[in-house]
Amino acid sequence: MSSPLGRVVATERRPNTPHEFHFWTALDCPVGIGTIVRVEGTQPVENQIPQIYGIVVEGLSYTDLQSPLHDVLGHDGSPEAASLAPTERAEIRLYTAAVLRQLPEEPLQPVPMGRVYLATDEDVAIALRMDGYLKEGSRTGIPIGIYRAGGTDAPIYLDADFLLGPEAAHLNITGVSGLATKTSAVEWLLQSIFTHFPPQKGSVAAVCFNVKGPDLCFLDQPGSIDARDRELYDKLGVPAKPFEKTQYFAPYHSKGHALNTLRSNDALAYNVHPLTWGLHEVLQYAEVLLNKDDIDAKADALIDFIARNVVGQEFADPILSRPHRVQSFADLEAWFRDLLRGMEAKNSESWRTHHVATIRKVRNRLSNISTRCAGLVTDDGAVSDLPFGTFEDRTVYVIDVAGLEEDAQDLVFARVITKLRESLEKRELGVNHVVVFVDELNKYAPNDGQDTYVRKMLLDIAERGRYLGLVLFGAQQFRSQVHRRVVGNAGSALYGRMDADELATPGYAVLSPATRTKLATLEKGQLMVRHPHFTQPVFVRFPRPAIMRGRDGAERFPQAATPTLDQAILRSLRALDSSVTLQWVQDAINIHEEQAVIRARNATVRARPNDVKSYFKAQLPALVVASSAKPRPAGVAIRGTPFDDPYGNG
Amino acid sequence: MGFVAFLDGVQQSRVVTFIDGAPIVHGTAGAAVRERRDRRMHSWHHRVEHRLYAPRQHLQPGIWERLAPFRPVDSSAQEGEDPAPSRHPLSTLERAVHLVQRHREDLEQRLAERWCDHESRPLFVDGGISGSERVARARCVVGVVKSHRTLYAVDEAVGIVLRLARAERTTVFLIEPKKRAPVASWYLRLRDATGRDPTFGLVRVEVAREPAEDLTARADQVSRWLLAEGAPLALPDARWDRMAYGIRDSEEFLKAIT
Repeated sequence: MSSPLGRVVATERRPNTPHEFHFWTALDCPVGIGTIVRVEGTQPVENQIPQIYGIVVEGLSYTDLQSPLHDVLGHDGSPEAASLAPTERAEIRLYTAAVLRQLPEEPLQPVPMGRVYLATDEDVAIALRMDGYLKEGSRTGIPIGIYRAGGTDAPIYLDADFLLGPEAAHLNITGVSGLATKTSAVEWLLQSIFTHFPPQKGSVAAVCFNVKGPDLCFLDQPGSIDARDRELYDKLGVPAKPFEKTQYFAPYHSKGHALNTLRSNDALAYNVHPLTWGLHEVLQYAEVLLNKDDIDAKADALIDFIARNVVGQEFADPILSRPHRVQSFADLEAWFRDLLRGMEAKNSESWRTHHVATIRKVRNRLSNISTRCAGLVTDDGAVSDLPFGTFEDRTVYVIDVAGLEEDAQDLVFARVITKLRESLEKRELGVNHVVVFVDELNKYAPNDGQDTYVRKMLLDIAERGRYLGLVLFGAQQFRSQVHRRVVGNAGSALYGRMDADELATPGYAVLSPATRTKLATLEKGQLMVRHPHFTQPVFVRFPRPAIMRGRDGAERFPQAATPTLDQAILRSLRALDSSVTLQWVQDAINIHEEQAVIRARNATVRARPNDVKSYFKAQLPALVVASSAKPRPAGVAIRGTPFDDPYGNG
Repeated sequence: MGFVAFLDGVQQSRVVTFIDGAPIVHGTAGAAVRERRDRRMHSWHHRVEHRLYAPRQHLQPGIWERLAPFRPVDSSAQEGEDPAPSRHPLSTLERAVHLVQRHREDLEQRLAERWCDHESRPLFVDGGISGSERVARARCVVGVVKSHRTLYAVDEAVGIVLRLARAERTTVFLIEPKKRAPVASWYLRLRDATGRDPTFGLVRVEVAREPAEDLTARADQVSRWLLAEGAPLALPDARWDRMAYGIRDSEEFLKAIT
């Protein structure tokens, strides 16, 4: 057994309780804020010597000096003279520890006097109740990092049942920007989940929304890590390599030539797919794009009518000049035009209880969507979507919405998450669990401001997602500014280095001043972890993700220049057929209109045919064969009047 | 080099009960040597002993036998040339306290002797060193007396002693008590006493009397060591002007364990 490093002390003014105790150590003892210790009691309780596990939350140091003035007097007011004193004053290192666990657990008593030992690996597992989910045969531990103190390097595990459901779920990450906390921690944790998620719990995939910069654009590319990181990977049993299966989705730029993503380098195009939706996909989420002033009860009723009775089916009405089949925004615009023309012709102010003003307003707002979300929403109704129904195990699906307008981002969140939820409800997604990573929760689920569709949806996941296997990993810089129910429902929480102002908010009052100070000075790669099994937060180190950092990726795989139409077509088609050349593309699209060419490209990319060239050409509109005009027949001379014409020549 | 260790003792006494008006006293005596290593104080050795003091002559016959398991010390016995205390409880109590004090001095002497047996490095002893022949002859022990109920000076010499400025000392003189070992001694002013009690910062130092040694040089050396102990201050102890921090540390240590 190791030698004790401290002794429990208690005074009347500072007594020990069942949840807190005090101990002192030698001056050179390797104890600090966050160190886990074990107290060995001296008196047996129910024939068992009590073992108390605690984590240091506060530290004090003082000497027998009664007044600072005594020190000044003792050294004649000269700090230099102080260093010459032959004796250092008696000094104490007094620590306060919060109890993690007591054995036996009943009766729960104040912490007894006893010796204090540095926790071993085994002690750490018991202290954090990890022993319950690290048993062979029913192991559900997901490594989150290494607890390190005084020579102890103990792996810390989260319980998969409490991280991904069904017992609890969701994870919230807080930390200041630019210190490799939030994104790095999520990348590392996803790798850990993919490696250690227990087979008996089924399959798991991740959907990550890239909301800014190139952070998540190179998840499948190896990054540089050092020997210390490798050591951590080995210790935690996670392979130090990038994600093996990743799929990228991004909408087009507004012109439709190229995908709107920083992962546009040709070398990485193999797993980048377009994300485009048509009228049918968007109409269901019109609420997302229309504000409260837009959607009053009347407008809502008309939109609902259109979605149910007009879109995607043959629609005829006496007021219309012809039957309509509305498949796209263009079709919808034609339908609106026809309807309003008919009403004007009949001088009617309402149609099927809908007032003409409401119809005009809804027309205006809906028609506007394809312009506001250009690149994502297509006029022609073409759809290129995530593979709902065929999601694959241990695959990361990244949706790059960094280049989209705020409205369009909201639409993407709303539709993707709703589709995920619906698919999981029906058990039709292809995997049993999906982790959804959303950064900038401050923005999408703010604590204040008006209620938005996205916030309602994030609340819905946070509150009900765990039963479905839909798990939210949310990140933000200021936890205090995120909706309380979103963060409150996160079973686990990670904290990187924090801003002092943020730490001063009431949400952090449960932490001791020393723990808050430590949070404000955490190094890169350090986290404070809260988890339902841990009665107190624990500090861990995690390795740098073995993934190319966004900045490095952007340098190594520079963004392709904005292509011309023929270059954009070449880039899209060459990903499907390497024999496609620029000359062939130019010949094929030479005389076609730009929108027609883009529609043909989109159709080809969606279909991924075997014969790319033929398929592409077949999608282009047929042209009338040119023919030269026939020469005009020569004029025939008018006969002259007869010589003996009695009326002529007169 | 300077002092490497400090020896001090403490005593406590309390009346446990009165039997037939006679005080039964529990006494605790302790002594400790605190060694200085890397400017930090550590325990070299310490002793703490408890005794029960009862005036045998003033108790009913059966009472003493009943106290026998605690091996009581008779606080009514004649001690040396001192007469036996009267039956007055305060007189008996005073004797008991005196015996506790003697016990403490005994422990201090035993510890000092132990140091002399094992060490040759300088030991700072709180108080005189002439109580033990072994200690009084040891070159490694320096006794520092803080109280001046007896001044080893007469006539003009008293003025010299009381007028000592900071860091000044008297010449070395010899003390040869009848019942104790002879030692060499001198007065030393540790702190400026301007405007204060004339004994402020004044200590009397005792060292072994080595006929072959240059006592002046020895006094200078030891005086320098003592002046170096001026910091840190032994405040809040009331005797801080004369007390070395190492001695206060020993006292605090003993208070903590007794």
